[in-house]
Amino acid sequence: MLLSRFWYVVLGLLVGVATFLLFLATSMYNREGAHAMGEALSSDSQVVNWYLSNDARQRSAQLISFGVDADVARSLSKSSENDQKVPDEAREKALAALKKVSATIPADQAFDAVFAVDQHGRVVAHLGYEQASGNQDFELGGYPVVADALRGYIRDDTLVLDRIYRVVARPVEADTSQLPAGAIVGARILDDRFARELSARTGAAIAFYTAGARVSSGAPESFNSAQLDQIVSDFSSLESDEEYQAKGRSKIRTIAGMVGVQYSKLPGEAWKLGAGYAVAREPKAVAGPFGFFKTADDQDKANANVALAVAIALAAAIIGIGFSVLEHTRPIHNFRLEVLKLAKGESDQLQPSRFRGAFRKIASDLNDGVDKILAKGGGPRRGPADLQEVLGDLPAEPQMSAFSFPGENMPAAASGGSGPHTAPVITPKGLPTAPSNPRLPKPPPTRGAVNLDSTMEAQGDAPSSGSPATAAWGAEASEPAEWRAVYQDFVALKQQCGENTDGFTYEKFEATLKKNRDTLMTRHGAKRVKFSVYIKEGKAALKATPLKD
Amino acid sequence: MSTLWSRLSPRWGTGVCLSLLTLLVAPASADAAHVKGRLEGFRLLRNPVWAEANDSSNHGFSFREPVPTVRAEFRRPFPHIPKELCVALIAATPQPAPKPILIRVGGGRTSPVTIVVTPGTRLTFQNTDPFKHRLYGVDIKTFAAAEQGVGATRDWTPATPGVYEIRDEAAPSLRMWIVAEPNVASISYPSMKGEFAVNVEQAGEYTVQAFFAGKKVGDAVPVKVDAADVDLRAVIRVMDQKTADAEEKAADEKAAKATKATKGSK
Repeated sequence: MLLSRFWYVVLGLLVGVATFLLFLATSMYNREGAHAMGEALSSDSQVVNWYLSNDARQRSAQLISFGVDADVARSLSKSSENDQKVPDEAREKALAALKKVSATIPADQAFDAVFAVDQHGRVVAHLGYEQASGNQDFELGGYPVVADALRGYIRDDTLVLDRIYRVVARPVEADTSQLPAGAIVGARILDDRFARELSARTGAAIAFYTAGARVSSGAPESFNSAQLDQIVSDFSSLESDEEYQAKGRSKIRTIAGMVGVQYSKLPGEAWKLGAGYAVAREPKAVAGPFGFFKTADDQDKANANVALAVAIALAAAIIGIGFSVLEHTRPIHNFRLEVLKLAKGESDQLQPSRFRGAFRKIASDLNDGVDKILAKGGGPRRGPADLQEVLGDLPAEPQMSAFSFPGENMPAAASGGSGPHTAPVITPKGLPTAPSNPRLPKPPPTRGAVNLDSTMEAQGDAPSSGSPATAAWGAEASEPAEWRAVYQDFVALKQQCGENTDGFTYEKFEATLKKNRDTLMTRHGAKRVKFSVYIKEGKAALKATPLKD
Repeated sequence: MSTLWSRLSPRWGTGVCLSLLTLLVAPASADAAHVKGRLEGFRLLRNPVWAEANDSSNHGFSFREPVPTVRAEFRRPFPHIPKELCVALIAATPQPAPKPILIRVGGGRTSPVTIVVTPGTRLTFQNTDPFKHRLYGVDIKTFAAAEQGVGATRDWTPATPGVYEIRDEAAPSLRMWIVAEPNVASISYPSMKGEFAVNVEQAGEYTVQAFFAGKKVGDAVPVKVDAADVDLRAVIRVMDQKTADAEEKAADEKAAKATKATKGSK
């Protein structure tokens, strides 16, 4: 069995190493996944930032169309000249001009709202910002982006008003020797539409937020957009992110292990108001070694060398089976065949040289055991004869289940004692039987005797079948006394076996014994019959032994 | 002395806000005199909010480029003086508080931005934007941040002399300065050209003082008012070129340091 054991150890080590490697691979995969996610999020954040800036630049170029429009310039100039109020005529002309120019702007560069602002900061006309409709005092002059435009700059800003707006503004000049007549301001709402557009162009899952709430979001189809809702729960701890507060971009954060997020503040006034955007990605991680099965796609499975894995498994199985056949099945088979030969009498003993390992030792020991038994003159016949087999039907009580007696070929014990019979005799069943020895002193009628069988009387240390209980017997003892002792033992044994002894009287017992005694004496020519008790199949039984001495 | 608070002459053209403001103060008397004058150097002033926003280290924009066709002299964050530069007529003695004054909150600022009032003057802030504001007084316990809906008003009265700053949690660009001056008799705001006219209800000796961003700017000009209008012959220079250059240089250096520090931390 050495090879098999060695193989088990090798397999155990291989399984252990494989398990260790799986956990190692899981950890490395998750670490690399987190690292890759972090880099991807940083990249997403940069791309979104670049996109927002570039988008603002491109849209600011569209403002030139408004700036060079003569009607817009004239309207703003006229309004700026009036310190008290915006002339109605200027409003009307400016609004018409805004509509006219807006219609010429490509859809993908269009603004959600456009404002024409005079030098005082008052909104002369606006498109797309219905909240301010009818408000004659509506102005924007206090915002740095508008003030800058009124002083000759093109720039962007992010304003948090009723919503988040990406704003670009540029001056409108009527006379280059004077201050700009006003400014034109274009605004884009950072709503779901914008977020989806941004997501489609950058490939990032993105959410805009302000005041601790998500205001819009967009994500690729492969991303579970519901994950973006989780950023709301992360806002409270975001305030303690020093990097976010100082640089406007947080570290990579993982929310509930389900989504990786990086927050970035929006440039402009929104920066101070804590408004920003979050880019998110789902982490590439496996829960455990078996998580690979869930995350692996068809391509991964195709790349795996299944043939090699199967070949290794088959080779391991074949080697293991081979070892077990070689060291287990085959030796047992050989042993069984040899034992069968021995049982059939085709061989006198086992041939240890035909066996290997432990079987050789077992065969050798068996041979030694047989030799010792033979040296002792053989053993008794195994097991008592069945009483019914010999006597036919017996009375119901007591149950005379079995008895044994010296074989038919066995010479009757000489009452005069003609010398000991030492040679073993063969019972009708071929089992060696110890010769009776009438000269041996009969054991005293002790309750503690092991067997009351007559055979045992001659061979006290020979193996016996069953577990015969004790019973007093002997030549010296009178039959009634002996039977009474047997009765007591029988009753005790029945009680021990849990049988009912109610109504089981000695008189009935004695009548049965007499009847059987007479039958046996007649049939076998015995001088007397000895009864003993034993347990058969969990019940108390009587054994009758005819004696010829 | 409260009669000194009066409507300004339209020809001097202040802002709409001032008109609203003056509607709430005492009506002008028929015999009111005016102190007229002109401010200079106001384009050398720097609006602190806009100057701060133009500093790239404050992340106020992702791009900001000058338009070449606009003259360089205009490309400065000078204030919109009709709202930001307050000309006050200071009397020799304390003046009573005028009627409540309306302050409009909208467009990223208040109108006016700087105001000089006597302590005890009730100021009514009205939200004219189509969205909410959250005004609060900087280090003013009696002016805590509170939401102010569209069109809603909120009152506050400066109890003691001093300079008070009001900000808005919803709009960082909004900053207002209230100067509580016991002797202020009347105020006015100049036109875009710097011309101003302050109503005087009662004859006497006064001092004309300009205020910007909560601070005095320019020299105080004494004036004696009788029944007739007084035209100040000398212009009031609120900022000279040398000081402006020095301030601008200091601001640039500060911005450069901040930018360097920001890049270093990255």
